[in-house]
Amino acid sequence: MKVQILGSGCPKCKLLEQHAREAVAELGVDAEIVKVTNTDDIMEMGVMMTPALAIDGEVKSVGKVLTKDQVASYLKVVKFHAL
Amino acid sequence: MPCKCDGTCETTLIYACSGAANTGLLADQVMRILSRNKVGSSTCLAAMGADLSGFLESARNATRNIVLDGCKVSCGKRIFEKNGLAYQHYVMTDYDVEKGKTPITGDLTEAVAERIEGLVKA
Repeated sequence: MKVQILGSGCPKCKLLEQHAREAVAELGVDAEIVKVTNTDDIMEMGVMMTPALAIDGEVKSVGKVLTKDQVASYLKVVKFHAL
Repeated sequence: MPCKCDGTCETTLIYACSGAANTGLLADQVMRILSRNKVGSSTCLAAMGADLSGFLESARNATRNIVLDGCKVSCGKRIFEKNGLAYQHYVMTDYDVEKGKTPITGDLTEAVAERIEGLVKA
């Protein structure tokens, strides 16, 4: 599974990344966390507000710092569908 | 340029029909003027129609979505309704423009953009 954190690297992006790492660790999922900081790459994914979270290329959240539990809920759905 | 506000500021996104007719051309040009005038940020209606997740989520979290359709077929409006998204709707043929006939000039484009900008800001 690939978890992408989209944002310029601002404190809110870093907080979302932290929450994503905590959620991945808590669930024990095999996930690679990738930061997408290039503006062109972010815009290409249609993201107009950051931070944003994508899982396996699917954008799940835009313009929000999701909590660890919110990230976990997205991870669980993707994990379930992958089974 | 994506907004970095974490949803705390107002974000207006603008979408335009780019259909084959003169009205599609007008909608597209009006969107570019509104974007230039900082009414909002232009983004891609075709991507919305293709159900691309990033565009849909951006629309869902925008303060305001402005949809500029060329004609009464209103493809843009239908895309937003299909996805249950809120929007403000403007149709180019409501501005004395006849589909397939009226030449799209710079003056016409500026005039329609000015009228729509006034309505958006009202």
